[in-house]
Amino acid sequence: MDLLLQGFETALTPENLLFALLGVLLGTAVGVMPGIGPAMALALLLPITYTVGVDSAIIMFAGIYYGGMYGGSTTSILLNTPGESSSVITAIEGNKMAKAGRASQALATAAVGSFVAGTIGTVLLWVLVPSVADVVVQLGAPSYFAVMVLAFFAVTMVLGTSRLRGFISLFLGLGIALVGTSTGQARMTFGQPLLADGIDVVVVAVGIFAIGEALWVAAHLRRKPLEIIPVGQPWMSRSDWKRSWKPWLRGTALGFPFGALPAGGAEVPTFLSYAAERRLSKHPEEFGKGAIEGVAGPEAANNASAAGTLLPLLTLGLPTTATATIMLVAIQSYGIQPGPQLLDSEPGLVWGLLASLVIANALLLVINLPMAPLWAKLLQIPRPQLYAGILFFATLGAYTVNFQAFDLALLLLLGVLGFAMRRFGLPVLPLIVGVILGPTMESKLTEALSISQGDVSTLWSEPVAVVVYAVIALMLVLSTVRGAGGRPSPAAVVPDGATGPDGIHGTARTASIDRVEHGSDRSIDEATEPEESLR
Amino acid sequence: MSTSTDLTERVSADTSPRIVDRAQYGLAAFLVLSGGYVVYDGTTLGDAFADQPVQPWALSYAVGGVLLLLGLGLGAATARGDRAEAEDGEDIDLSGSTDVRTVGLLALVLIANLALIDRLGWAITGALLFTGACGALGSRTWLRNLAVGVALSVGSFYLFYSVLGVPLPAGVLDGVL
Amino acid sequence: MTAPHPTGGIVDPTCVVAAYSADEFGRAAVAAAAELASARAARLLVVNATKGEALVDTRFAADDEIVGLLDELRARGIDVEVQREVVLDVADAVVRAAQEARADLVVVGVRPRSPVGKALLGSVAQRVILDAHCPVLAVRPS
Repeated sequence: MDLLLQGFETALTPENLLFALLGVLLGTAVGVMPGIGPAMALALLLPITYTVGVDSAIIMFAGIYYGGMYGGSTTSILLNTPGESSSVITAIEGNKMAKAGRASQALATAAVGSFVAGTIGTVLLWVLVPSVADVVVQLGAPSYFAVMVLAFFAVTMVLGTSRLRGFISLFLGLGIALVGTSTGQARMTFGQPLLADGIDVVVVAVGIFAIGEALWVAAHLRRKPLEIIPVGQPWMSRSDWKRSWKPWLRGTALGFPFGALPAGGAEVPTFLSYAAERRLSKHPEEFGKGAIEGVAGPEAANNASAAGTLLPLLTLGLPTTATATIMLVAIQSYGIQPGPQLLDSEPGLVWGLLASLVIANALLLVINLPMAPLWAKLLQIPRPQLYAGILFFATLGAYTVNFQAFDLALLLLLGVLGFAMRRFGLPVLPLIVGVILGPTMESKLTEALSISQGDVSTLWSEPVAVVVYAVIALMLVLSTVRGAGGRPSPAAVVPDGATGPDGIHGTARTASIDRVEHGSDRSIDEATEPEESLR
Repeated sequence: MSTSTDLTERVSADTSPRIVDRAQYGLAAFLVLSGGYVVYDGTTLGDAFADQPVQPWALSYAVGGVLLLLGLGLGAATARGDRAEAEDGEDIDLSGSTDVRTVGLLALVLIANLALIDRLGWAITGALLFTGACGALGSRTWLRNLAVGVALSVGSFYLFYSVLGVPLPAGVLDGVL
Repeated sequence: MTAPHPTGGIVDPTCVVAAYSADEFGRAAVAAAAELASARAARLLVVNATKGEALVDTRFAADDEIVGLLDELRARGIDVEVQREVVLDVADAVVRAAQEARADLVVVGVRPRSPVGKALLGSVAQRVILDAHCPVLAVRPS
């Protein structure tokens, strides 16, 4: 409790308050803006870790993380373009609400629901982080190694559309992590002395997230503007509040544990929440036509899972989302090793962050409710300048790592790799997790085997390790049973689950099909030839 | 949202035509080659100290070997008609073909920047990077873009110099800035 | 440029082009053009173009809005067509559309600008006025 109060003291210094405000503003902006998400924003901002204090930087990054979720829901509701798979449901149900003239209510229930979920999630973190840290700090190297292997498998198999592609991505990342010097010998350096220290994670993150994304968008630039639904001040009537508060709480209850699981992610709980609300609602007929419960629940689940993500990050040093991965990189760049010891060695940092999350949430509610129409204006930024700006800051960020043009060449190569990954449907997260956790895993393995003097059986000598390996085996078996190439379907978890995650992708596609048809089927006489190229 | 059967129909209708994605063979070949190289690189590493339980080549063999296998697996899957689900996004229109020209121009702009940054300095190459990228992406307001680019690059130069105390390369403008 | 239009085109046009943006200026242009067209029984071509540079262009009309506009103008007995395009340059698109339709009058909505505004921002209306091959009527929203 004292620690929490100290955390608030850290978070409430004017400087850190300013960084929190900056973070939530930036986060909301990048969440609203097309083509740039919180993970890319954090990657581009990594250079500030050279000069700003660690607590300020992490507080700002957490603000961006939370803010990105708020901003993303605004775009989903007003434009029906889910930026990420976790906001697909919001895009469908929220956009239907907006089309029915209830944009204000949809935005309000999303914002308040996010606030409720984020706040409850943060309080859960206050309780869980110390107790989980107490447990994991006792894990030996073998167990820790096993947990890391679990994280690899989970990130690879639960996310994305195909396990094969997940593993390809993961091992590409592990391959990049091999570059450098190992036990005094140059490994994978291609005889290039500049590679002796390995490829800086900042360069990898910026290359894959920023350059790769910018090139990919440039290759498939959408030309026809989307229809935006004009928005007024978000507000809710008494009956909207009455219909929203239970879905918020249920969404939070679903979202937090999924976020806390290694690679649980935000996509599955938003879907589960939607299915649950549809079944429990007194207005099931409204679902699919703009039911407020269908926005309130999934939005809360989305934000609660963001809070949940911080539990494995702070206690185990395991990132489970792309944004959390970059936060880990940021913490590491201060020479702090996140992991079981983090809470003991850096209590000020952890509690400052945990306290600032509540502040960030409150700030987000304040800046989002009255300013929603203003944020929507960001959608009018012309793309050439937006993506040129991304390339500009990406280059600047990568260059300032070592002040070497060589890093810019690496950046471009990694950008091309990022482009290829998007083209071939390779998920980005396993790669970046592989790059970051690869070296940690090697050192944990070395540590475990050093203690046992080379006896490999030490790896399964601890009960926790055995359990974890059993879980991995179970995951493998389950996903094999479910059919090659597919991922485990939550349809098994929800009895009346109408759609699996594959269905979620299908829904997203349907949504965009609807939009296109909507655009072309009307009786516009002169459908001139460029109309063809628009689509 | 439409009903589930609807969705499944749409999804399966989407994937039903079995076309082999030839470009994916290229990715498979890349994986096999890089896997092979990682293993080869591992063989060039000598043993470390006697008490080192994990030799430096151990992970090279493991990672390289798996990459090789994954490459072969992807090749086989491609032959069976496996196709990638390219990443969708807010700004992305996947219905058209890849715009090679824009991507190539952007790559050229980035290459020009990395080749010239040490000689000309960030204040110049950064501005050219921004302006060039805008142009490659289809903006025709050259003057305005150049003005914004100069403001960004000179601004970031001074920001790094005075606030953060890190000098970016000044290049030919050394002494002017 | 050859002028196939009789000089009477201004007073007695056969085809009027209205440059439409989904704001008060565009509406003023269409209102003026519609008045002319219905009085003279001329064809009306509404051009609504966008550069498509941003995810959202508020001046590019929504589908519903276009349908509504068409219904309204047709109800007034005007022979109206709408041309919507994504183009590299909006002013060019208006001029080209007028040329292709052999229009003898283009109507644009204009806003008063400060000298600084004129220097910084290119005005679509201004470019249409300068580039069009036929007379241009500039109207201001009331």
